[in-house]
Amino acid sequence: MHPGRQLGVLGLIFVVLYLLVFFAGGASGSFTNRLKPKLGLDLVGGTQATYIATQAGGAPTKEAMDQARQIIANRVNALGVSEAEVVVQGNNTIVVSLAGKADDQLKDLGNAANMRFRLLIGTTMDISASALNPASPAPSASASGAAPSANPSGSVAPSTGASAPSVVASPSTGGQGGGEAVPSATPSVAPSVAPSAAAPAATPTAAPAPVSASVQEQRAAVEKKIGAKLWAQADKLTAPVDLTTDPKAGLVYKPFNALTPAEVAVLSTNMQMYVPTISCDQLDKRPNGSIDKAEDQVVACYSGQAKVLMDQAKVVGDDISSASPQLDQQNGQWVVSLDFKSEGQKKWADLTRVAFNATSSDPCFTAVQALYGSADHCAVAVVLDKEILSAPQIQAVLTGSSQITGSFTVTTAKQLADQLKFGAIPVTFSAGPMQTVSATLGLQQLEAGLLAAAIGLALVALYAFFYYRLLGSVIILSLGLSALLTFGALVFLGRTMGYTLTLAGIAGFIVSLGIAADSFVIYFERLKDEIHEGRTARSAVPRAWHRARRTIISANTITIMCAVVLYIVSIGAVQGFAFAMGLSTVLDLLVVFLFRHPIMTMFANTKAFLSPRVSGLGRVLRRNSTEEPVSSRVKEA
Amino acid sequence: MARQGLASRLYAGEANIDIVGRRKMWFTIAAALVLISIGSFVIKQFELGIEFSGGTSFSVPAAAGGKTLTQDEVSNAVEKAVQQANPDASISTTQQVGEGKDASYTVRASALTTSEAEGAKASLVKDLGLDATKISDNQVSAAWGGQVTKQAVIGLIIFLVLVVAYLIIRFEVRMAVAALASLLFDLVMTAGVYSLVGFEVTPSTVIGFLTILGYSLYDVVVVFDKVQENTRGITAGSTRTYSEATNLAVNQTLMRSLNTGLVALLPVGGLLFIGAGLLGAGTLKDLGLVLFVGMGFGVLSSILFAAPVLSALKDREPKIKAHNARVLARRTNRSDDVAKGDRVRPVNAADSDVPAMAGSTTPRPGARPQARRNGNRPGTKR
Repeated sequence: MHPGRQLGVLGLIFVVLYLLVFFAGGASGSFTNRLKPKLGLDLVGGTQATYIATQAGGAPTKEAMDQARQIIANRVNALGVSEAEVVVQGNNTIVVSLAGKADDQLKDLGNAANMRFRLLIGTTMDISASALNPASPAPSASASGAAPSANPSGSVAPSTGASAPSVVASPSTGGQGGGEAVPSATPSVAPSVAPSAAAPAATPTAAPAPVSASVQEQRAAVEKKIGAKLWAQADKLTAPVDLTTDPKAGLVYKPFNALTPAEVAVLSTNMQMYVPTISCDQLDKRPNGSIDKAEDQVVACYSGQAKVLMDQAKVVGDDISSASPQLDQQNGQWVVSLDFKSEGQKKWADLTRVAFNATSSDPCFTAVQALYGSADHCAVAVVLDKEILSAPQIQAVLTGSSQITGSFTVTTAKQLADQLKFGAIPVTFSAGPMQTVSATLGLQQLEAGLLAAAIGLALVALYAFFYYRLLGSVIILSLGLSALLTFGALVFLGRTMGYTLTLAGIAGFIVSLGIAADSFVIYFERLKDEIHEGRTARSAVPRAWHRARRTIISANTITIMCAVVLYIVSIGAVQGFAFAMGLSTVLDLLVVFLFRHPIMTMFANTKAFLSPRVSGLGRVLRRNSTEEPVSSRVKEA
Repeated sequence: MARQGLASRLYAGEANIDIVGRRKMWFTIAAALVLISIGSFVIKQFELGIEFSGGTSFSVPAAAGGKTLTQDEVSNAVEKAVQQANPDASISTTQQVGEGKDASYTVRASALTTSEAEGAKASLVKDLGLDATKISDNQVSAAWGGQVTKQAVIGLIIFLVLVVAYLIIRFEVRMAVAALASLLFDLVMTAGVYSLVGFEVTPSTVIGFLTILGYSLYDVVVVFDKVQENTRGITAGSTRTYSEATNLAVNQTLMRSLNTGLVALLPVGGLLFIGAGLLGAGTLKDLGLVLFVGMGFGVLSSILFAAPVLSALKDREPKIKAHNARVLARRTNRSDDVAKGDRVRPVNAADSDVPAMAGSTTPRPGARPQARRNGNRPGTKR
């Protein structure tokens, strides 16, 4: 390749990078603002959120807190290379700090997560709106906001083109990734429920779990609020109230619509399910942990449209070993692959066997038919806290690897996989205050770091000039170029993938200065060898380059390998550091190939190249010529 | 040939220092150092920083009783208070939490017992003149979880496996083993220095420690690259033993190794100077220190340890063994060519014996092969 062309390529890279810096990835503000890398928590401070944990039955155990800390840390780090700090404070508080203004990111971190897999055994539309306003077609404000449509079928069918989610045994396909999602079914809701509800007789009633005294008290309070007569009536409900025959039948239950979500949460499962005026909105806002008990049958909402009755949780989040989004090669669809731990595999197999082998007389079959319009097998709901993430139909008796299919996009598949993977926080959190925090180290340290970089650069420059004379200028120019490229990449990556520069990162870049200068030493020493052996400058440069290139590539391959492995495997600060190391090494190589080599090629054609005063390379030469005659004498300039 | 000063001979790669020939000495020194390090791990262990072991966090309001405290005032006061309670205690970071009149400062200190924390709180109350109810203390967990360390170690192991595979493809099995040995030596030595001197281990230290991985191998690759070049087709001739060829390569790359080492250490030195000199503590010093120690060992071990290990391994290889014996036999037969101090030895010398260096008779790089060939018997070549 022609030297000029290589320099051209480098120039192009430069221009593109800085165009990206100034005009892409959400660049905004003045020119100087666009040139600011995202600095880390230790340098500029950030936002701190506290989460107070509660565990069923009192204070959380130390183990549970550690596990929760780990899961929250994983969630934070899934946001990007941000080097957040997550610590447990006292017995029940977790403090998360993130660089910069990060309120939005911190908001959902503490979302408690008890992952439960429950067989879907009953469903009824959220008919609170029509129950409250039987005469008016407009939905009331208290309803879930779904306008009742005239569709007489009682199914929440996914909109056209969306396939209802299902689970199949995963074929052995490769793939990787990670995330979270609700199948984008936009069901049409009909205010009729008639045939869709599970026949109560067939409902596999588990004996109602014993209710604790405090719940009894709370129930009594709600009963007072509602009125004993209505309470007794509601308590007897074992099937949805049929509004198709009597549109006003739901009106008597109106008081239930005024209950707070916390009050709704203490009602019996049957009441929550069958009282028509209890809306999805109320159910969705129940306190965290309301339906965590694995041994209870519970009610939740599916896509805010249908109330769903679910069986005891036979499989829980702890049973999952891994989950990741994958692109199904055959049909180009995103799926979520799911693997269970050894003890979880058996439970999963039992649960899927029940679902897969269910016949049309089983309640779960009726329920899934009602939910999806048509179905061949029962569905298992994946419940995270109070939310049904997905309710896939079970397509086989599954043991280990399973795949959840549905109309996923890459984002929704990643989202669901993340939720499955990090879903099992063993305690529930209530978010405490969010506050700004100052830098731990502050700008003094940052200035010191930059000063150290300047000193390091100056020392390298001095040494290079002393040892290689004018060739030192090539080194300095290259280092300057590397620094500019690295800086541009930092600014751009800070905006696009949340890479924050901490003091450790800065130090990493300073160290890479020396390592970048290394490749020069290797090259120049090679050049010396070649000239020592009596070659002319013009033939020595390409030969030395050819041989040094091999060494440089080998040595740098190792550094890059180290960075890539650490980046993939490790977490937290180590990951951020590995990223910095890999980035600077790749950029150094770029400069070596596209700048130094062509410059040296041009330089070699000048007369001054070999003079001892200019390059220091001639010193070996003069000695050489006194020792033995060399066939190809080099003309002294 | 006029004797030149060592500097200019170094510059030209002709210092002819016998490094590989003294390999027994290097191995003895290395073994002793490793034993001392491991002993230190067992007996002294490591000083772990607050980020690993957890600690106590004090929360002090910024504005109380009509006066506002600055971050420095609070951090100094807390430092004094915890040191009164426990002389070994130290503080790590101070942060302002919140803004305006509700702002408070959070100071993290080493782990204190309940009574120590109470004592520290009492002296804080006295020192800052605050209401005792306004100051709270809490136990804080390690910010650097065990998970981070675990994943870093897994990463380290995967990296080592990959690197060995790469070196086997790029060089050969014995070179890969020698490079790995040298890397492990660097890591053990660096950890040993930390354990012996009792420097505090912080997250920055761990990160720096991982940097050494790539760097230490970088040096070794530079040396081995030259060794490979020098020993290509070595068995075809019979002028040099493998060890001599290796030693020559080390000498030729000596300047390069010293140079690369120096150039890489210069910025780290700047970091250390600023970190330890101007700031006294913190991330810069931690990183500078671990890198300085690690890279220093990296340069030394690539010259004094990796190459000798390689030659020791290669001398056990049958093909090389036979070749070495042939070279030596040839030298003893040609008394006119024997260098001073070259001991005459039977052909079947034990393989742990290292051939002495042929000194100045070893051909210079680039010198043409000598014209005098003495009875190159066919059949000796394979």
